[in-house]
Amino acid sequence: MTLTRRTFTTGLAALAGASTVLPARRAIAARDSELNILCWEGYNTDDVLSPFRKMNAGATVRAESGTSDPDMINKLRAGEVNVWDLINLNQPWARGQLLPEGLIKPLTKERFMPYFEKMAPEFAAPYPLAFADNDDLIGMPQRYGPFSFVVNTDKISREMAEDQGWKLFLDPAMKDRYGVLTYDNWNLIHMCLTGDLNPFEPLDDAGFETFTGIAEQIFGGAKLLTDDLVAMNTALINGEIDAYFTGGTYTASPARLDGMTNIRGVTPKSGPVGGKGGVVWIELTSLVNNPDPSPLAEDFLEFVQAPEICKAVGFAEGTYNPVAQMGDPEVAKLWDADELDAIQWDSLEEEMANSVEYDVVADYDKLMQIYTAAKRG
Amino acid sequence: MRGRERRLGLLYSLPVSAFLALSFLAPILLVAAFSVMPPKVFSLANMPDFSAYGEFLTQGYWRSVAWSLGMALAATLILFVLCWPLAFAMAKVFRGFTLVLTIGVVMTLFVSENIRLFGWVLTLMKGGLIEGYIRHWTGVGYDGLLYNVPIIIFGLVYVYLPFMLFPLAQGISMVPDDARQAAYDLGATRWQILREIELPLASPGIVVGSLLCFVLSAGAIAESKLLGGQAVIVIADEVETAFTYGQNWPLGAALAMVLIAIVGGIAIWGIAKADLDAMIGRRR
Repeated sequence: MTLTRRTFTTGLAALAGASTVLPARRAIAARDSELNILCWEGYNTDDVLSPFRKMNAGATVRAESGTSDPDMINKLRAGEVNVWDLINLNQPWARGQLLPEGLIKPLTKERFMPYFEKMAPEFAAPYPLAFADNDDLIGMPQRYGPFSFVVNTDKISREMAEDQGWKLFLDPAMKDRYGVLTYDNWNLIHMCLTGDLNPFEPLDDAGFETFTGIAEQIFGGAKLLTDDLVAMNTALINGEIDAYFTGGTYTASPARLDGMTNIRGVTPKSGPVGGKGGVVWIELTSLVNNPDPSPLAEDFLEFVQAPEICKAVGFAEGTYNPVAQMGDPEVAKLWDADELDAIQWDSLEEEMANSVEYDVVADYDKLMQIYTAAKRG
Repeated sequence: MRGRERRLGLLYSLPVSAFLALSFLAPILLVAAFSVMPPKVFSLANMPDFSAYGEFLTQGYWRSVAWSLGMALAATLILFVLCWPLAFAMAKVFRGFTLVLTIGVVMTLFVSENIRLFGWVLTLMKGGLIEGYIRHWTGVGYDGLLYNVPIIIFGLVYVYLPFMLFPLAQGISMVPDDARQAAYDLGATRWQILREIELPLASPGIVVGSLLCFVLSAGAIAESKLLGGQAVIVIADEVETAFTYGQNWPLGAALAMVLIAIVGGIAIWGIAKADLDAMIGRRR
């Protein structure tokens, strides 16, 4: 048969027409053996995904890591609820935004409640932010860590940093000796704490004025700003700076595991929120409200509770973090001494006790406006 | 016959035109539509209120635009001065070596921009390749070269060099040697030849190279983040913050539209000036 231009064009048109119908049908048919995970780095490593793929031969398991909580939420808002099955974010978003907007749905309680019993005491209670007002289970906690600021203990002692707390960054002697890690949502919280304000409650005019002053002073005295924790640790190690505003186990651990144990996350001993000045993040993994859900989603969430996988998640490439499941001795014994030192295991309990939960900032929009203006200088 | 050809031409261009409209114009129109929405909404089903543009003016965002455009202009000028002799040599002097140089410069594009910039961070930082060695040999160190505006411009110059070099070399190759030799014979000085023969005849290459560098630099973000330590906040950074941490899509869209309008205006003006037909060899 000879292919004339006319038959070729007709064929092309037919193919184009068919392609609008075919993939959609195929996608629906394949959901049984497909799982898409939107997560912070760690859940997307081979150490975590390979064993799960082996358990579910033939399934397509895909995990993509985001660069910030809001970034990942944007994806769901932009219509990708049809794509993802699980989303892994810090604790305030599930209750504060995802559930009210119908972007996530409750987990099967009978299946997951038993896992809380083996968790560290803070989580075994069980952990309140994992539940909706009507007591539905909306996410499973795993990785967590105190997140306040980081110092080079060769230059600033841990005791001094803990005693001075956030006021360290207001000391005129610290001008040009610190950096600001631009995790902007965190900085709002930490700048409020620096000004003795409670970020989780609405501020009055005097509060906003204080915040403005603090933001201007912190940015004014900073030697560098970056959202890259490696760049920030590098500057801290080579002595360009002695501390950085906003950081914790999550950012300090890679340097610590490399032997630079003088890089340390510090939690202030006191502060304005019920006497506490530190903040802790806790990740929750939730079920995305996908109209065409994958049965593998809950299977995966259960799979990551196994001791070896807990270790793989906590010790993924990039950053190292404690996991709630370390309350179970079977899980905790998988960490060696250096690894425990990297995640500051020695002071973790004390730091947790001095920290409040990372939460939704009450005046986020207004504070963000002041903050970005101050950052612009 | 002519009319039929024109109609056929129009017909044949339809698929590509439709593709361009869908893939290029549609996203920009979507951004434009979002930019007039009220603050903090995530859908287009709202009454337009243009408040995001008001925020642009009242919240000092123009400063970030000014920084971005200013640094882009500086980088473009430096690139032009830096690349002219090299491009001239590539077009008129080097012959075989031009290929080596071309491959060398193009090779750098195979490595991600962020990795190349991080290489510079390790080179320029305190205790880095330069300061570390100087301190080791002389015992005297200095405070590192990073985290300021000049280093951001350096980063822009470094990253966008190929985008100036190649169009410029192409432009210079369009200058006929006969014209230069005739000018010499008639007693023109080197300066006169540059000003009155080479620059005007190479102008399409100059315009294209400058536009590429300016437009890319104006929207650049990595140089200010990695090398500059955000010593100044560029407009692309503000757009990113508005869309992510700010969760204010209309504001982000409005900031993007302002940048698109300014840069697009300059680009269209520049392209109208340049004789692109001559450059791609359709005339002459």
